[in-house]
Amino acid sequence: MKKNHTWKRIVFYIALVAVWQAFDSANIWPDQVFPSPLEVGEDLVYSAADGSLFFGIGTSMWRLIVGLAIAIGGGMVLGIFMARVETINQTIGSLVLGLQSIPSVAWVPLAIIWFGLTDAGIIFVTAMGALFAVTINTYSGVKNIDPNFIAAARNMGAKGEQLITSVLIPAAFPYMISGFKQGWAFAWRGVIGAELLFSFLGLGFLLNVGRQLSDVSQVIAIMIVVMAIGILIDGFVFRRIENTVMSRWGLR
Amino acid sequence: MTKLEAKNIEKYFDHDGQKLQALGGIDLKVNDGDFVCLVGPSGCGKSTFLRIVAGLDRPDNGEILLDGKPVTETGPDRILVFQEGALFPWLKVIDNVEFGLKIAGIPKSERSEISKRYLDMMQLTRFAESYTYQLSTGMKQRVAIARALVLDPDVLLMDEPFAALDTQTRDLLLVEMQLIWERTKKTILFVTHNVAEAAMLGNRVAVFTNRPSTIKKEIVIDYRRPRISEDENLSKYQQQILAELRPEVKASE
Repeated sequence: MKKNHTWKRIVFYIALVAVWQAFDSANIWPDQVFPSPLEVGEDLVYSAADGSLFFGIGTSMWRLIVGLAIAIGGGMVLGIFMARVETINQTIGSLVLGLQSIPSVAWVPLAIIWFGLTDAGIIFVTAMGALFAVTINTYSGVKNIDPNFIAAARNMGAKGEQLITSVLIPAAFPYMISGFKQGWAFAWRGVIGAELLFSFLGLGFLLNVGRQLSDVSQVIAIMIVVMAIGILIDGFVFRRIENTVMSRWGLR
Repeated sequence: MTKLEAKNIEKYFDHDGQKLQALGGIDLKVNDGDFVCLVGPSGCGKSTFLRIVAGLDRPDNGEILLDGKPVTETGPDRILVFQEGALFPWLKVIDNVEFGLKIAGIPKSERSEISKRYLDMMQLTRFAESYTYQLSTGMKQRVAIARALVLDPDVLLMDEPFAALDTQTRDLLLVEMQLIWERTKKTILFVTHNVAEAAMLGNRVAVFTNRPSTIKKEIVIDYRRPRISEDENLSKYQQQILAELRPEVKASE
């Protein structure tokens, strides 16, 4: 079953590259507009060889991790309080729903005014992009906890901080994982978007450089890298955590 | 000696904007080491009463005394075993059993020593490293009982713990429950809607009336132990309980 799945994928991607090559060979568009797969591949090899690609990945990932960590920490605290304190839910809760609808790049102007063209500005955009997804999922997670779990824990003496760390967080974790996943996806978009506009270092910056030099191969090469990292993190980090949690709960 | 006393416990609920009285003044005295079963029509508030004794709900009137002192909060001296066990799916069996000890800040070595003893008593030792979804319903209830017993509560509160079990497993646990009671000398308050279960377990059976509930009658069951479900002599007690219960069930319909 799984093997079959992988094969289908491999065949699909080979076919995709073949179609791409066919379009290139047909010479419909000039090479500056529509590069061949080989040119994009060469560009990837060059930028890997001179280290600029890995430096770009490293920079973007570092910003992402810091931003996402802030979002996860803040979102969990906010979500738990919203779920447990009705007044906070009625006040801050409505604001959170509104703020969630703001795309992360819309925080860029504010980030530039507050932090200037700095790493802190990009991290701010990343964190704001992910924060509310984590908050809302944590909130639903805590709201949906079997009330008997909380009653049993209280009965056995858990209260305050202990109740939060030993019951609320682990019990809400299956929901929180989806929040982290969503948060990561928003954060990744946020980092690349902010880097495009801030224009210094990172994969978004490399995208922008490609545009400025009219180097379409570089633009596509970087886009492929952004996508590949997306797939890898989703598959290797989040899906793995999710599987562990789900199987432990017997939900799979 | 009186271990636990409920004095005129009243409880109201909001039901579609109407105030509904669930408990109409429950008075109950439970002696140290007694095994008391609470039976009543469904929805009569016996579970609510148990939650109030546990300190999970507040009564609107009346008070609960433990060793003569009023209790209003939850405490490890009164541990409730839930109908569905309420085991934590993110913890292994052993960590579920040790949960209360960990909360109390008892060091690891001491915790394992205590949990080992109760896992053994409940025949759970080989499931210690399992997660709860891997257990049958009966095994889950054993874990729930072990989790309560490790805290060495003065009073064990049980809310229809065997209601979801198949007959064979239930019969087995009903006998085991009596052995555990004899071994640990716990005071037990056991809610059930099953008359046969009450006759098997209780030294005393308190019959609740329909809402607003009070205790209608207490039936003393002075009979040898361990009692088994096949014992025909128990039917006499069952009839006695049923005679009190039947009009209440009718009234509640």
